[in-house]
Amino acid sequence: MKRRQYLATVGGAAGIGLSGCIASPGSSGDDGTLTVATYDSFLESQGELDAPGAWIKEQFESEHDDVEIEWTNPDSGLNHYVQRAGEGVEFDADVYLGVNVDDLIRADEQLDDSLFQDLDRGTIGNADSVKSELEFDPEERLLPYDTGYISLVYDEGEVSGPETFDQLLEPAYEGTLLAQNAQQSDPGQAFLLWTIDRYGEDGYLDYWRDLQDNGVRILGSWWDSYSAYSEGERPMVVSYSTDQVYANRDGLDMSRHQLGFLEDQGYANPEGMGIFADSDNSELAHDFFDFVLSPEAQGQIATLNVQFPATTDADLNEEFDQYAHEPPETVFYGYDELRGNLDGWVEDWAREIAG
Amino acid sequence: MASGGDDAEASAGTQDALSAAVRRTRQWLERRTLGLATGVAVAVLAVVFVLPAAVVFVEAILVDGALSAAPIRGVLTDPFYVGALANVFADPLAVGEHLRGLVGWARAGFPVPTFGLIGFTAYQALLSTVASVALGLPGAYVLARFEFPGRDLLRSLTILPFVLPGIMVAVGFFAMFSAGGPFNRLLGLVGFGPVDILFSLEVIVLAHAFYNAPLVARLATAAWESVDARTVETARSLGASRRRAFLDVIVPQLAPAVLAGAILTFVFTFRTFPIVLALGGLELATVEVWIYSRIRQLDLAGAAALAVVETAIAVAVLAIYLRFEARRYGSGRTPTPSERTPLVPSLRALAKPSRLAIFAYGLVVAVVFVGPIASMIVESLTGPNGLTLRYYAFLINRQAEGAAFQVKPWPAVRNSLLFAGATLAIAVPTGVVVAVRRVRGGRGGLVLDALATAPLAVSGIVLGVGLLRGLVFGVPLPGGFRLQVTGVAAIVAAHAAAAYPFVVRNAAPAVGGVDRSLVESARSLGASRARALLDVELPLAISGVVAGAAFAAAISIGEFNSTVILAEGGDAYTMPVAVERYLGDRTLGPATAMGTVLLAVTSASFVVIERVGGRY
Repeated sequence: MKRRQYLATVGGAAGIGLSGCIASPGSSGDDGTLTVATYDSFLESQGELDAPGAWIKEQFESEHDDVEIEWTNPDSGLNHYVQRAGEGVEFDADVYLGVNVDDLIRADEQLDDSLFQDLDRGTIGNADSVKSELEFDPEERLLPYDTGYISLVYDEGEVSGPETFDQLLEPAYEGTLLAQNAQQSDPGQAFLLWTIDRYGEDGYLDYWRDLQDNGVRILGSWWDSYSAYSEGERPMVVSYSTDQVYANRDGLDMSRHQLGFLEDQGYANPEGMGIFADSDNSELAHDFFDFVLSPEAQGQIATLNVQFPATTDADLNEEFDQYAHEPPETVFYGYDELRGNLDGWVEDWAREIAG
Repeated sequence: MASGGDDAEASAGTQDALSAAVRRTRQWLERRTLGLATGVAVAVLAVVFVLPAAVVFVEAILVDGALSAAPIRGVLTDPFYVGALANVFADPLAVGEHLRGLVGWARAGFPVPTFGLIGFTAYQALLSTVASVALGLPGAYVLARFEFPGRDLLRSLTILPFVLPGIMVAVGFFAMFSAGGPFNRLLGLVGFGPVDILFSLEVIVLAHAFYNAPLVARLATAAWESVDARTVETARSLGASRRRAFLDVIVPQLAPAVLAGAILTFVFTFRTFPIVLALGGLELATVEVWIYSRIRQLDLAGAAALAVVETAIAVAVLAIYLRFEARRYGSGRTPTPSERTPLVPSLRALAKPSRLAIFAYGLVVAVVFVGPIASMIVESLTGPNGLTLRYYAFLINRQAEGAAFQVKPWPAVRNSLLFAGATLAIAVPTGVVVAVRRVRGGRGGLVLDALATAPLAVSGIVLGVGLLRGLVFGVPLPGGFRLQVTGVAAIVAAHAAAAYPFVVRNAAPAVGGVDRSLVESARSLGASRARALLDVELPLAISGVVAGAAFAAAISIGEFNSTVILAEGGDAYTMPVAVERYLGDRTLGPATAMGTVLLAVTSASFVVIERVGGRY
């Protein structure tokens, strides 16, 4: 499907190098191709197993005649489409897979009209089994399809597992923790919000000041911190509670992959999917969502994306049951609590750390 | 009805006219080569730099469609950004109050004032510049003055660090300098305790030197090689001591190149990202970290205001330098380089202080440069349970069986080489012309050079957003149409714009060194300006041009931001993009394997460029 027709090619400047094109105001039609935008790791798997994107495409296409899934992964994620919609520039994607609550808030704050269309949940039978505590869109435009839980991962040979946030301030944990920049990293932001939940809006900066005095290191991305952890630079890192699944697959020493659920909690990080407002493939997209929430697909996504299913009836395998751990209690800030607050909380925190 | 003979006549006439036209066109082209190349340079810069930068910067001065100083004022009066200067910017005319502030500061015993995020950014850039010059200059000395096996290869490979993606450098540094890493084991061997330099200002400065010392070394080597040996001999024969001759004759000839390297290093490290957060942490954040945060929040005005201040500082530094540099060009003598001395003339010579110092320097190079790169390669060969080739098998497997939406190794290699080739084809000729104008052309050349150098001073993140909004989204035209510039041609143009300053910096000193009288003789014998450039100046200045070409290739191969944005999810991905995409779940293997492929391909292309260039 090529909605954007290139009508003309204008000559490049001085005849070399630059070619321009003029795009028409869009013509479209439903021809059975569903363009699904998502993030990199949903499509690129590096382990022995395939990426969830490949399995979903193959399976969905085999169940639906004359239907094709086309994946796309823009570098700036959902922001790419928020900016396009804001500038009135058309795009091909029908569906976005991997919307976090902060992405949705940003889209709603930036745009006059909703980036996503309303769902007809009645046509998505499997939506009934979605865990209600993972729903994060008050207007129900998005459906959660998986979730991660942020926890600590630690090396039990070096430190004993911390049980509370306060313990992290004790001398025993001096210079042990690696976290991520909440300005740019999902787990980093989740960990920050977890501390706000624990100490309140008025107390979290004090806590972080103490944490800083006790030698916490806040690196950039999850990758920065996890590779530093892997090199043995620090014995604790903010990460996901599915860590042991990977450790088991690679045959690693489990003593270096222990999970710390502070306060017997973990911070939930549900990912949602929605249909873009301008998509003409609404019907097919609803079918696709029903498929993604089916017990089989939920089991596969859990295994291949190494995240927890969003439904209650996923076909999980033994490996996942044994090595992926859910926290006893989950913490999660919803849409209404974050909207209007999140950017300020993060900015105040970052200034506290960097100032 | 025309007969056959008429046809033939007509066609002969047409041919004559045609060949005359071709001749005229060629003459016209020759006369206009300089103008045309200048036009290309300006057009490329306008489309891939001026327009995108303007699209974002305008947000810093417009509030609800009206001109406003509020966003930029907001930055300058915020103590978090500018520290002690916030009050001065808030009320610049309250001189009395500022003086009282100074007195108060003196009474307090001159505590070290802080200048906020921007002040720290400048401070770490300054330290990084000092470190890069300190590490780069001895390298230039060794490469320019000594002969040893592998010298040419080493010289070709000096700019290798330039192309390495940040995450690979971070991996290399983690492995090399971690508590149990090779660096600390080495220290242990000679009886020193483990040193923890990760997550410190020191390691950031070291990583910046890893990237930029080679730049300094490369520029200085080219300058050192074109030092006129006769000037040194003259000075010596007039009784100057070795040291005097060095200070009075060699240093002034090296200064512009060293200064160029230092200034470029400062400007680069002033807008550093993401290596500071990977190796240092948020406590050592720079302005660019905040710009990135604003962009992620889609707060374009906030990002633009910070970027305007950041760019203004960098441009000021560049401007001071460009003015200084203008007075340095044109020694007008064709250099006769002095012979290089053998590094190891005899075994006994190894004990000489100069040789010992060089080997000590070699050890530093091994730790700072070879170490991280080697660590990265080792990482690509190490699985959870020891040595393995599985990550290379992954690359092969992905190439053979990868899905259409997945990134494959070969297209990444092919695209990188194609883009680098096309970048060379645009950036080298136009860069040389800019250099010629710069050296000979007075003010016009200065303006052109300043324009070509300006992209270095602008935040890469901001430029990326500008490319997205200006070129990918396109400029609206009447009737709902949009003018868009994306795809391969746009990527190459963006790479060329990024490469110009390096071609100019490398070529200008060499072009400036060409004897004017040779060019004038050629011109008086009837050669066009372009002929004279091609046949006289270029061969004489070839070492600088080739060095510039190698840099242009390195810039193109290492570029990430504009490549991913302008490729628009298509198949135009390159090797650094593949490295980033292969960063997977818990294992660095595939990314480091791809990074190693990048290293190998890039090394080979540098060697080819130098060999081919050397034959000119």
